[in-house]
Amino acid sequence: MDAVAEINAFEAAALAAISTASDDAALEQVRIEYLGARSGRLKDLQSLLGKVPKEEKPAVGKRFNEVKNRVTEALDAAKGKAGATVKPKAGPGIDYTLPGLRPILGKRHPLMQTIAEFKDIMGRFGFTACDGPEIEDEWHNFEALNIPEAHPARDPLDNFYLATAKKGSGAARLMRSQTSTVQIRVMEGRQPPIRVISVGRVYRPDEIDATHHCMFHQMEGLMVGEGVTMAQLKTTLRLFAQAYLGHDVSVRFRPSFFPFTEPSAEMDIGCVICEGAGCRVCSHTGWLEVLGCGMVHPNVFGHVGIDGERYQGFAFGLGVERLAMLRYGVDDLRLFFENDARFLKQFA
Amino acid sequence: MQFSEAWLKSLVDPKLPTAELGHLLTMAGLEVEALEPAAPAFTRVVVAEILSAEKHPNADRLQVCQVNVGEAAPLTIVCGAPNARAGLKTACALVGAQLPGDFQIKQAKVRSVESFGMLCSAKELGLSAEAAGIMELHADAPVGAALRDWLDLDDHLITLKLTPNRGDCLSVLGIAREVAALTGTALEGVDCSAVAAQVADAYSVVIEHAAGCPRYVGRVIRGIDPRAATPAWMVRRLERSGLRAIHPVVDVTNYVLLELGQPMHGFDLARLQGPIQARLARAGEKLELLNGECIEPAGDTLVIADDSGPLALAGIMGGNGTGVTEATVDVFLEAAHFAPDAIAGRARRHGLSTDSSHRFERGVDPELPRFAMERATRLILDICGGQCGPLVEAGPGAAAKAPVEFRPARARRILGFDLDDGAMLGILARLGMSVEPSGDGFRVQSPSHRFDISREVDLIEEVARIHGYDAIPAVALRGDHAMLPAGEGARSVIELKKLLVARGYQENITYSFTSEELDRDFRSQGEILPLLNPIASQMGVMRGSLLGGLVQSLRHNLNHGQERLRIFEAGRAFISVAAQDQPQRIAALAFGACRPEQWGERARPVDFFDLRADLDALLHPRAAEYRPGVHPALHPGQCAQVLLNGAAIGWIGSLHPRLTQKYGFAKAPVLFEIDLMPLVEQAAPRYQGLARFPAVRRDLAVVVDAALPLGDILTAVGAVKPALVADFACFDVYQGQGVEQGKKSLAFKMLLQHTEKTLTDSEIEAAVAGVLELLTQRFNATLRG
Repeated sequence: MDAVAEINAFEAAALAAISTASDDAALEQVRIEYLGARSGRLKDLQSLLGKVPKEEKPAVGKRFNEVKNRVTEALDAAKGKAGATVKPKAGPGIDYTLPGLRPILGKRHPLMQTIAEFKDIMGRFGFTACDGPEIEDEWHNFEALNIPEAHPARDPLDNFYLATAKKGSGAARLMRSQTSTVQIRVMEGRQPPIRVISVGRVYRPDEIDATHHCMFHQMEGLMVGEGVTMAQLKTTLRLFAQAYLGHDVSVRFRPSFFPFTEPSAEMDIGCVICEGAGCRVCSHTGWLEVLGCGMVHPNVFGHVGIDGERYQGFAFGLGVERLAMLRYGVDDLRLFFENDARFLKQFA
Repeated sequence: MQFSEAWLKSLVDPKLPTAELGHLLTMAGLEVEALEPAAPAFTRVVVAEILSAEKHPNADRLQVCQVNVGEAAPLTIVCGAPNARAGLKTACALVGAQLPGDFQIKQAKVRSVESFGMLCSAKELGLSAEAAGIMELHADAPVGAALRDWLDLDDHLITLKLTPNRGDCLSVLGIAREVAALTGTALEGVDCSAVAAQVADAYSVVIEHAAGCPRYVGRVIRGIDPRAATPAWMVRRLERSGLRAIHPVVDVTNYVLLELGQPMHGFDLARLQGPIQARLARAGEKLELLNGECIEPAGDTLVIADDSGPLALAGIMGGNGTGVTEATVDVFLEAAHFAPDAIAGRARRHGLSTDSSHRFERGVDPELPRFAMERATRLILDICGGQCGPLVEAGPGAAAKAPVEFRPARARRILGFDLDDGAMLGILARLGMSVEPSGDGFRVQSPSHRFDISREVDLIEEVARIHGYDAIPAVALRGDHAMLPAGEGARSVIELKKLLVARGYQENITYSFTSEELDRDFRSQGEILPLLNPIASQMGVMRGSLLGGLVQSLRHNLNHGQERLRIFEAGRAFISVAAQDQPQRIAALAFGACRPEQWGERARPVDFFDLRADLDALLHPRAAEYRPGVHPALHPGQCAQVLLNGAAIGWIGSLHPRLTQKYGFAKAPVLFEIDLMPLVEQAAPRYQGLARFPAVRRDLAVVVDAALPLGDILTAVGAVKPALVADFACFDVYQGQGVEQGKKSLAFKMLLQHTEKTLTDSEIEAAVAGVLELLTQRFNATLRG
């Protein structure tokens, strides 16, 4: 008998055995007899293939594979048919409308979601998040930021000094009034190029009302390098505003003053409430002031030991609460710190 | 700084609509905070004269007036105002007039008398909030003239929010200079030419503190008319700047302050004793201020004094009893320059903030006193009459300002746009700066009123500001970049927060401030850190723990209807003022049922082990060690210190019964607080080969002393690493029937595995026996039969 005939005979016998097997156990016996890995009849056939003349090999091999697949499929189908004899019990099904275990998901705080988004956006520009202490010394909070001893911003009544040491004693400490302190700490630690942001709590003894608090969050950004320009500052902040508030947001820059930057600017965005028509939120100007920025002041570079002739830099700072209020339509800043579950759970 | 648009336009008129003028100022850094019309819109209101006023025949409180409105025949108008009387000049709304509030005047019958218009009060025209009767205009008012023209009502009030560096714009002239520079419009001068002395009185002035008062200009004016009145135009400009008219001399000094920016003061010459002195206050000296308050200035405070003692807080406020009054005939006028350092903070110390201190703290043009004196002299002589003495000038004057180097190339480099040298120098020239070449740049001398200019970057800012920030092009961010190294296995804090959120926790942000009492309840390390000037006692100290805030949040939420709460916060705790003693922590609190109510599960209160599971999840794949601990806020028997790799990182436990009662909870919440950084810093995992041979499970139940902590056994097994044992965990703890009193049964599950082969029964038995032997020897365990 030639190889093809042997293969055909195997096929016929195997299919017959499968069709007569009555249950899964019998089918397993059939499988072992015909397809078993150790001593199944298919293994014998396989050894035949080696003896087939070279020119016939492709055709015989093809037929062998066809049969092998067909028998395997027939066996699998028969096994499935055997399982089909198991019948579900009669009776009513389950009530699909009963609730499952209630999902118990919390929420991240809306301010923290905002901060995470800021970090993500600035991260795409290559800005790395840095951190610094919240109880600061006067050097980092004032002196190095070009706010000298006699400056009105250093008035103890306008700051949260700790009672531990006297103001001006060198050991005086205060709750940082701006995240710009981290600028100084970063620049003290390394030379340009620098691209960092710092986000965190700042403290000022402001009267608490719907838009002011004595504790709030700021994001500070700093980029220093050769050839960092005010034009780049504008681009960076415009792209930031568009990334956070949408591509149709309009921005404008107008001159301002901060001791640690010059030229200084404030960035306004077109009022997102009235879209520029003028409303109560924007004091009828059509614009909302959202951040202060500017080119790092030469005195600041001098204080941290960076060559202000060789390097240039820009810095900016913005209030997190203000942007979060605009984004979510929250009209009272105090809600962010009441931790009322009914408020917080809305920020999915 | 509030002023009238019409006043500004009298000095510079760029022919811009009001809104555009406002935009121009804002975009030049002089932010317009408010811009409102001086009067609301109304039409057909004229100056009128009441010719006669007769009682209305049918109404007791009404009068029938004949009113001359400048037309051929007088109008009959019924009026209810008690002050309507013959001879009064007032405002009359003619038939067809539109008044504020969408109110139209029609011809009407008032109690059967025809009325052809309405006599108006200031309130009806929107000129004031209250009015007692119809307007009483000056006798000079021209009958028939439009009221808006006569009172100059088509004006606007502009309020600027000026940055502290722009003290030079705290005057109408200063703003006019800016507008002129921005628009190229010509600036009208203010007449400050010298007034020749008419009397010889030169009152002597002695400057003892030239650093604080480098220049003092004084002048005597004798014989002013005590009955003189401030002219209406000046009153109007003062009022539209937010000042009331007081006395002609005071009004003139206020007017000059607003116009030129030079604070001035008028003394009653008759009250002065001996020469004027500008000096520091002496110990024990007292001064009663114009506002009636009596103060004792500190030794660093500059005063203006005479032989009798201090007369005024220099540059801040005059004293009571020496100022100009209605009885004053001879005046001594002061226009001085005080250094910002000598004034800064002094006013606030006494609870004061005046127009004068506001300006001197920011800086005033040091050359201005002489001009202001001439200006004020002329105005007083015009308004009050009298004769002036010679101008007395004392003090060395302010030090000459050094010129500033300016390199156009550097300006271009910082600003990032192409503006040629000529354009930049043109801008500086428009700002009144004189420029001359020097080396590879220029030497720039700024005018005395630009005392804020002292460095090259100040000039660069001026160039950008006048050119317009909007004109700076948008260019791509470009430049070197050095990325900061990040730990290879570090997890972000956000990842940790998301983990807790997924386990049902809501993130909170509580105050870093707390009350001293709360801090004492929760602080476990360091000293109380009180603030010097807290805004309230419940925010008086910095928190030493995050737990107090979470407990307060729980209380708030229970009061607002919540029954089950899972909350956490990540933030700093303050152990000491040192930078390294402000650790970032993560704290969580659980209260109420372990799961929300559901039909298929029985509710059970949350307990220590639920919270521990959440903490274990945060630490995973690392395992913490839990040791009995002591924390002031936690239950002494249910408080564990958490250790990671042997280092203490925090606490977990139930709230102390004392605090549970104090804060009014029916049941103790469970809480943890741990350091955040050890969770973030995590080594990157190392791959280990997968076992190719099946693991075998064997269970082992032993009886040990009831007091033995499970952790001791787990630690010992972990340390010994018995052969073949791949996993060793406790799955049951039992005490009671079948187990001897004082003992407990622990059931362990063991997974046994060999990486190279399938285990034989004898190998498995040997491994189990090895573990049992370890437990027997170390913990006196017996196999449970």
